[in-house]
Amino acid sequence: MLNKALIENVLSAALTTGGDFSEVFVEDRYTNNMHHQAGKLEKSLSGRDFGVGIRIFKGLQSVYAYTNEFSEEGLLKAAKKAAEALQGAKSEENIILPMEKEIIQTAHPIQFMPNSVEKSRKLAVLRNANDIVTNYDPSISQAIVRLVDEEQNVLIANSEGTFVEDKRVRNRLAIAAIATDGTDMQMGFYGPGALQGFEFIEGLDLNHYAKEAARIAVTMLHADPAPSGKFPVIIDNEFGGVIFHEACGHGLEAAAVAKNNSVFANKVGEKVASDLVTYIDDGTITNEWGSINIDDEGEKARKNVLIENGILKGYMIDKFNGRRMGAESTGSGRRESYKFAPTSRMTNTYVAPGKSTPEEIIANTEYGIYAKYMDGGSVNPSTGDYNFAINEAYLVKDGKIDKPIKGATLVGNGAKTIQKVDMVGNNLGHGAGMCGASSGSIPVNVGQPMLRVSEITVGGRETK
Amino acid sequence: MELTTFRNQLFTEGEKLGLTDIELYYEKQESFSCQIFKGEIDGYESSTVNGISVRGLYNGQMGYAYTEKLDEESILFLLESIRENAPLIEDEPEEMFTGEDANYQEVDYYSTNLQAVTVEDKIAFLKEVEKKIYAYDSRVVQTDYATIQDQSIEKELFNNKGLFLSDRNNFLNVIISVVVKEGEEIKSDMYFKITKDFASLDADEIAKKAVEKSLSYLGEQAYPDKNYPVILKNSAAAALITTFASSFSAEAVQKGQSQLKGKLDEKVASEHVTLLDDPFLPEGTRSGTFDSEGVPTGQLNVVENGKLKSYFYNLKTAKKDGVSSTGHGHKPSYKETIGVSPSNFYVVPSEKTYMELYEKLEEGIIITDLAGLHSGANPISGDFSLAANGFYVKNGKIVGPTTLMTVAGNFFEVLQEIEQVGSDLEFSPMGGSGYIGSPSLKLKGLAVTFD
Repeated sequence: MLNKALIENVLSAALTTGGDFSEVFVEDRYTNNMHHQAGKLEKSLSGRDFGVGIRIFKGLQSVYAYTNEFSEEGLLKAAKKAAEALQGAKSEENIILPMEKEIIQTAHPIQFMPNSVEKSRKLAVLRNANDIVTNYDPSISQAIVRLVDEEQNVLIANSEGTFVEDKRVRNRLAIAAIATDGTDMQMGFYGPGALQGFEFIEGLDLNHYAKEAARIAVTMLHADPAPSGKFPVIIDNEFGGVIFHEACGHGLEAAAVAKNNSVFANKVGEKVASDLVTYIDDGTITNEWGSINIDDEGEKARKNVLIENGILKGYMIDKFNGRRMGAESTGSGRRESYKFAPTSRMTNTYVAPGKSTPEEIIANTEYGIYAKYMDGGSVNPSTGDYNFAINEAYLVKDGKIDKPIKGATLVGNGAKTIQKVDMVGNNLGHGAGMCGASSGSIPVNVGQPMLRVSEITVGGRETK
Repeated sequence: MELTTFRNQLFTEGEKLGLTDIELYYEKQESFSCQIFKGEIDGYESSTVNGISVRGLYNGQMGYAYTEKLDEESILFLLESIRENAPLIEDEPEEMFTGEDANYQEVDYYSTNLQAVTVEDKIAFLKEVEKKIYAYDSRVVQTDYATIQDQSIEKELFNNKGLFLSDRNNFLNVIISVVVKEGEEIKSDMYFKITKDFASLDADEIAKKAVEKSLSYLGEQAYPDKNYPVILKNSAAAALITTFASSFSAEAVQKGQSQLKGKLDEKVASEHVTLLDDPFLPEGTRSGTFDSEGVPTGQLNVVENGKLKSYFYNLKTAKKDGVSSTGHGHKPSYKETIGVSPSNFYVVPSEKTYMELYEKLEEGIIITDLAGLHSGANPISGDFSLAANGFYVKNGKIVGPTTLMTVAGNFFEVLQEIEQVGSDLEFSPMGGSGYIGSPSLKLKGLAVTFD
């Protein structure tokens, strides 16, 4: 994407003011975005992103510059301008990269590259999903189905001799169903994705995914307003893992830990969660949505155990925050694109399975909330306060699932919530999502088996 | 490759390949940002990015493609993509604006003074602010972040029918989150300031406001769960309106995704509410003289004394309703297709101060901050259930901060139940659907639950 001599010159130019580490990230990405709504293909957009990010460290200072003015002159100018920000003493550095660039052999097999597949084949999938949703029930007013695929080619080189190229291919189908009874409108959503080619999309069991989206919307249309108060909450598997992502995952990222802006800082070896909780971030799971071969700093993906039986084992660490912590990278440096400096982020994060069956968990709950499908949420990492919405929820009464409820939001404090996990199921499942933070919006999986938290504050419209 | 060469080659090649109308939208963004942590540069970023969005009519359908690389390969990629995408579109055909007989305001929203501020001065200013933050109060632990950033955007719009328009804008932000601690209680909140006038920034004032915002949340207490009269503070009100602003778009209305469908000239809000869209606001981040389709912009009263007067229209939605575009065709970036969005959209303030809104309350809640807007709100139905921070009011006085709350309600009911509008207009830093502002609003009531 850029030749070796030019990269060496840019890496060297970046170190002329006393920097001790420089890095070049080159990205060439092709994206297709198809949007099918109200029975029609409304949008089909193709694009090419291309740009270069240059990063310099000097001790605990970090400078980032990015541009798509990719001429030698443009890049050297950007590197020098970035270096000037460090205002250090002039020095001469001559970075020499290894002779051979390392080309990553992917651990995530790809059969059909996005741009090799005719768009009419993609359209057929969109239409199929649309039909399944709209035929599900007369109250379904609309299906919105989107297919996004991309091929991201990256080259990462740094002054420590990393010189590596990787290709990431992702496909995601997002199915939304809207149901209405004339006054109320409810939405159901399912969005499977993978680090894989078009074969993933064609292989999807649309009868399952599209029907589930439709079923959620229709069910919620007939739901009563959620009660508010403090209840035991049962959270189902797959995307239910978003509670741990918000309540716990973000607080275990070095970006928060390095500056003690996390309730989990300086607590390795201590008990931070219920004994039932083992929490893992694993970027190596074959073809999963959040998986990577290498992170965006060129480090190999790995499996990081974060919490084991309630004891904090470690964090997710990128190179820069690792400096402040005196710790090595854990292969967790990620970014949306060349427009972002990388920072520590999650990949596929999940709660390890326990011993209870889902039936036992429900049967053991006298009165509570069952969150079957979660929506998104957010967290303030320095306090650990989180919030998130439930897409499909039910009341649980006398050990049985009772009527559906809508408009429920869960709020609480992450550090407290993970101590209150009192049952963990055996049905681990992963769900695809996009996670937004300082290094942009990136694909991540959240995951867990069904689990129960003894008490969470639920906010609904019905006050006691 | 130079833009002019690229454009000429693209238009020539495109016409040869059978594209009748071709439009090129060019955007150039330059940005700078710096973060300071304990006196050191903790993050520093500078960028120059160009992007090009091309759309073209091929056999009567509009195809879209974009690129960030101006080279021969991209010209081929763009034209091939347009020819492949256009025939798949099953929607009504789109039109291009020729610009004939159009009158554009002549305003330049670009501040050359702001552009002239040196990086050294910006960094020195932020370091001074950070120092003052630590000195202001012993309960300050540190900053979660302290950032200064500026951005300039240039836009150019060309088509092969002779249209050529250009526009530019720039602004500077200071964003700070201070972490404070008393006993075991830790609190933080975000402070945000946007300006085109660097010289007007006062380090003492920024430090004071940023620290006091976080300190004000110390000493939290829970209160009984129930319906309370609520003051929605300006920034929280603006954030809530941002979440539901798409309801005012003709696109959402035509797709049956807006509760405001069929409500023109009806009362959709209390009589105290006037919602104005002003693309000529001097400090507005969305200010401009033409929209993303090249249509001239203008002021628009969307809601006037509670009555819905107009939706936001682009060319396509206007044609469908048999009206003219209101100049709200919007492309969030060169990577997107044309949609509909407000420009600078706000609740017109009254004379009442913030304090006047709560001083007559026997009991009530002031909501200063809402979280979870991207998931806890249903933009179609208007239902929301959100996490909130704020204060408890008793006998017209602020007693103190509350524990984390959830508030639930419906946006369209909230609009009808606005009893008073304050004078303290503020805009939300949340991007997305326009630059949206509101003064503090007094609401009849919302269901509040305390953690």
